[in-house]
Amino acid sequence: MSNAFEPRIVVLCCNWCTYAGADLAGTSRMKYAPNVRLVRVMCSGRIDPAFVLRAFQDGADGVLIAGCHPGDCHYINGNLKTMRRYPALETMVQQFGIEPHRLRLEWISAAEGDRFVEVVNEMTEQVRALGPLAWKQRSAVADLSGSPHAG
Amino acid sequence: MSHYATPMMEVPDMIVESGGRTLDLCFQCGTCSGTCPWNLVRDFRVRDILTRAQLGLEGYEGEDLWMCATCNACVDRCPQGVEIVDLVRTIRMLIAETGAAPKTLRAVLGSVQSNGNPWSGDRNARMAWVKDQPVRTFDGTHEYAYFTCCTQAYDPRNAKVVRAAVRVLDAGGVSYGFVGGSEACCGDAVRKTGAETNFQNLAAHNVGLLNGLGVKHLLVPSPHCLNTFRKEYPELGGKWQVTHVVELLADLVMSGRLALKNAVPLKTIYHDPCYLGRNNGIYDAPRDVLRAVPGLELMEFGHTREEAVCCGGGGGRLWMETPVEERFAVLKLREAQARGADAVVTACPYCISMFEDAKTALGLDQLQVLDVVEVVAAAL
Amino acid sequence: MEPRIGVFVCHCGTNIAGVVDVNRVVEAAARWPDVVHAVEYKFMCSDPGQGLVKDAIVKHDLSRVVVAACSPRMHEPTFRKACAMAGLNPYLFEMANIREHCSWVHEDKEAATLKAIDIVRAAVAKARLLEPLQTRFVPVTQKVLVVGGGVAGIQAALDIANAGTKVVMVERAQSIGGHMAQLDKTFPTLDCSACILTPKMVQVAQHPNIELMTYSEVESVDGFVGNFTVKIRRKARYVDEAVCTACGVCIEKCPKKVPSEFDEGMMPRKAIYRSFPQAVPGRPVIDKESCTYFKNGKCKICEIFCEPKAIRWDDQDQVVEEKVGAILVATGMGLIDPHGLSQWGYGRYPNVLTGLEFERLNNATGPTGGRIVLKDGSTPKSVAILHCIGSRDRNHKEYCSRVCCMYALKFAHLIKEKTHATVYNFYIDMRCFGKGYEEFYNRLLHEGVKFVRGKAAFVTDQAANDDEKGKLVVSAESTTLGEVLRVPVDMVILASAVAPQKDAEAVARQFGMGLSPDGFFMEKHPKLEPFSTATDGVFLAGACQSPKDIPDTVAHGAAAASTALSLISRGTVEVESATAEVLTDFCSGCKVCQDVCPYGAISFHEDTKLAEVNASVCKGCGTCVATCPSGAIVGRHFNDRQILAQIDAAFLWE
Ligand SMILES: Cc1cc2nc3c(=O)[nH]c(=O)nc-3n(C[C@H](O)[C@H](O)[C@H](O)COP(=O)(O)OP(=O)(O)OC[C@H]3O[C@@H](n4cnc5c(N)ncnc54)[C@H](O)[C@@H]3O)c2cc1C
Ligand code: SF4
Ligand code: SF4
Ligand code: SF4
Ligand code: SF4
Ligand code: FES
Repeated sequence: MSNAFEPRIVVLCCNWCTYAGADLAGTSRMKYAPNVRLVRVMCSGRIDPAFVLRAFQDGADGVLIAGCHPGDCHYINGNLKTMRRYPALETMVQQFGIEPHRLRLEWISAAEGDRFVEVVNEMTEQVRALGPLAWKQRSAVADLSGSPHAG
Repeated sequence: MSHYATPMMEVPDMIVESGGRTLDLCFQCGTCSGTCPWNLVRDFRVRDILTRAQLGLEGYEGEDLWMCATCNACVDRCPQGVEIVDLVRTIRMLIAETGAAPKTLRAVLGSVQSNGNPWSGDRNARMAWVKDQPVRTFDGTHEYAYFTCCTQAYDPRNAKVVRAAVRVLDAGGVSYGFVGGSEACCGDAVRKTGAETNFQNLAAHNVGLLNGLGVKHLLVPSPHCLNTFRKEYPELGGKWQVTHVVELLADLVMSGRLALKNAVPLKTIYHDPCYLGRNNGIYDAPRDVLRAVPGLELMEFGHTREEAVCCGGGGGRLWMETPVEERFAVLKLREAQARGADAVVTACPYCISMFEDAKTALGLDQLQVLDVVEVVAAAL
Repeated sequence: MEPRIGVFVCHCGTNIAGVVDVNRVVEAAARWPDVVHAVEYKFMCSDPGQGLVKDAIVKHDLSRVVVAACSPRMHEPTFRKACAMAGLNPYLFEMANIREHCSWVHEDKEAATLKAIDIVRAAVAKARLLEPLQTRFVPVTQKVLVVGGGVAGIQAALDIANAGTKVVMVERAQSIGGHMAQLDKTFPTLDCSACILTPKMVQVAQHPNIELMTYSEVESVDGFVGNFTVKIRRKARYVDEAVCTACGVCIEKCPKKVPSEFDEGMMPRKAIYRSFPQAVPGRPVIDKESCTYFKNGKCKICEIFCEPKAIRWDDQDQVVEEKVGAILVATGMGLIDPHGLSQWGYGRYPNVLTGLEFERLNNATGPTGGRIVLKDGSTPKSVAILHCIGSRDRNHKEYCSRVCCMYALKFAHLIKEKTHATVYNFYIDMRCFGKGYEEFYNRLLHEGVKFVRGKAAFVTDQAANDDEKGKLVVSAESTTLGEVLRVPVDMVILASAVAPQKDAEAVARQFGMGLSPDGFFMEKHPKLEPFSTATDGVFLAGACQSPKDIPDTVAHGAAAASTALSLISRGTVEVESATAEVLTDFCSGCKVCQDVCPYGAISFHEDTKLAEVNASVCKGCGTCVATCPSGAIVGRHFNDRQILAQIDAAFLWE
């Protein structure tokens, strides 16, 4: 492999819409950048800000949070909680000096394989343009993203 | 000799590689051929060209290839989203590279190459239309830079339109200046004839010039300039806001900044230029302006707006010979006359030329051919 | 004790192995801690593939299983079952999706192989931390809700009811029957539509196991597979159903006329009406919006003439609640708005009709009593039928409507039979794929119907010569001839596209279904489960899933009914095991979780100041888990440690 910078993007997404949308991209044999790894939770409402920080801390160059369109959440309105949580998360991430384009929230339905492809490609290019994330404070926030309980 | 035809896949491959990506989408429904205005006067089936090109069968590269007036009527209706006009352009480009373009076109393209305009006009005489009328040159402080169309600069009939424009824009208190004579042809029709290199040269010249002058907002009198500046220049580095004169006029008239006081007691019929209407969705602006003119009556052709029949001047047809009885402009003038119109009004230099020629050919002295701008100037 | 993990990598024929080097994936996995067994196999989901898993669990004493293959949405249940059969708790299984999310979406083999290794590593990381969960079952309510009373809903309802299960059928219109009731004859056999449909409609109304609610709509759906609670709004009918004898005198006497929806607005109905003469139920309803009495307080003529005194001015909408085990959605199709089809003359020329308008024109109960006539009452001498209007057209609907070619043939036959007019069909492709369909096409050729291979470009009334004066002119290229035709005719029928019902989005949302890109309801699997949806216990039947003709609709309805019945007769369903749980040691009593739970599954004990999750209500979305500021809620099967482990393993970071 060449030494050119390949962005590493963690996608935190819900099972019902975005994960299924990514499945549809697959069944439709669409092609997209191989720079993403999906972490599936049942609902975007499950996505703890700590997961995002942990991904950046691990070395991710970008994090995509994705779920069902507002009104379409399989659990009625879990995604509205995600939406409400997001601005604070965005601010926090920016306070850590991480550029805005490295974190993104998208609603991608089970029917929108093409949208999934579009978002992944777009974000890969945006993050590629930003270059690797040199996050000075990686260790400083280690405790922030730790799990408080054993289970 | 056998009658079997054998596909040559090099042909479609080359077309697709040259940008004609929608070639293979065509499923031969015939909507395009059925929609094309050429049926009104002669046999020309663009579907035939596409089907032959898909299979690489002889016939796609024949004389018919140069018939298409790029009016976009078929593209609007194609159920498969085939970019028919763009395919015609691409095939023309490939054929032109082999030197097989029609003779008349070659002369025009020669002038484009040496003079920067298709009319064999002197490069330095681009502002000669001004005569003794005082005009302002764009100096960076003006809101709009007015880009004179070659046809307005060198064709005496169309020069009248730009002189009328000066009066109208001044009356409306518009902040504008003329680019000033060093501009080259916008290249829209040049590109549609397949002369890609010529177009790229023109575009490079204009982009450099206009960016150098600090132009932010272009004001254009021709729908062809409008179309290419809006849709094709951005990726070549020309990222300006582009407004057609009638759009600005509609704005001035509707907002009351331009008062139309004089009655113009004409029965007018409005012709939608293909590049203003179908290509850019501007149908209401010219009609709004005309309706605001006191004493003026506005009529419509049987096929109007989205369905309007082309004047026949686009895609390089302006520079090619068409027998009188096969000219769309002739059909349209006859229809205008039958509907009792005094004047055919439009908003495109090519349309004006096509109609004036048709008028001469038919000897219809009473019927006037006018640009919206001229009607407005008369109403000031 | 350290977990003992088994990793199984599937080739899926060449679907995975054609892009991903599965051997490298196995080699990598074998080196990871706790992986005691790693193998590849051609088809993991096959019997021998599952056998491989079962055997390895026993032979290698596996305590975790990871299968790297397709999407867990496809085969997670399969492998969970295999694990369970070998005595391993099914929740100790984890799936790595290296097909939909890898081999199918990447072309670069090296990048895809590296990605596949990452995906499997993350799955192993999660598997290491998985915990066994108890599978729980609840009983299934022995009743099915059928929404929509078209032929699909009718077929399904009868099948279910005949099997001895109770059915509630909810129909929005005054009568059941749907679009099929509007048709005159049906292709390819030319049976009279009403003759074959009305007996079935009556069976529905009279079936002891079916409760029919027409003029009603589902208001809300709660619960889950096996245990839905539905609220149904029964619109006020202003006619007492128990008293009305369906004599129809009121209808006759009512002076207020409005356009009839059933007749496509081509003839009027009254303010008190039934959709059509053979409507089921036959008892009319008063349409409050049109009724003169409701508008200005005067009239009540219907009441005066109603002998049994059935009119009830104070009738109110009622909302009733039903508990059902399964829901079968059969809400049918809509039709494209023909006003967007102006180049073919619709809305411009009165003798341009849609297909459904022609059905009514040709129907004995329709506006002309079944006479095929022009707007001026005269008989057409020539008719053009234009195929694919709005179908197979990116400017409108991209899909094929699947019924138009055949109904166009049917129309051609009926026109020939009734008027002897010349009939032209303008088509792109003739799609006559069903049983007896090609034969029907042939029959029409024998009858002298003219076929032009080319789509109609436009219809105009502007005559180019004397023959065209007063005619509608259809222009089309005969692509076989290479000749553009102008064909003057008296009448034009547009085979206008079938479309999703207008409120498809709202209906989909109500029942937790998705929409396919074409706007119809999305099935669980396009080939193998076309009658199930993403929501367990919600099934699909008929044209609401995709355009269908009657034979396909009926088959689909019966299939959906049998799938619903298999759920009903199973008697119990498994409920979510991956629920949330409050760790009381950490709960600070802030109650935030209570506010965010979409299902009200969290109760707060005022005495202990602690929250508790009701496991039988919790659906496991995990919103509370992410919200709890004290980190006191664990989301089973998706707990923090598992997810963080997965993130940590998502890439080889350095
Ligand atoms: C012009 C034309 C001619 C045709 N001719 C033929 C033919 O000759 N032969 C043939 O095989 N097929 C023919 N078809 C196809 C046939 O009409 C369909 O196959 C059939 O109607 C599909 O039945 P369905 O029950 O799925 O849907 P529909 O008939 O659409 O019935 C759906 C029912 O659900 C109700 N509904 C909708 N939404 C709700 C809601 N939210 N709540 C409650 N109820 C609701 C509706 O009121 C309706 O009663 C033709 C179609 C057209 C358009
Ligand atoms: S309308 Fe489009 S699909 Fe039809 S023949 Fe023309 S190019 Fe082909
Ligand atoms: S663009 Fe106009 S002239 Fe050219 S083929 Fe299409 S309809 Fe005919
Ligand atoms: S009150 Fe009058 S208008 Fe209303 S339903 Fe009865 S008869 Fe018709
Ligand atoms: S996991 Fe979701 S459904 Fe369960 S208690 Fe928490 S918020 Fe409610
Ligand atoms: S299930 Fe997708 S966001 Fe809630």
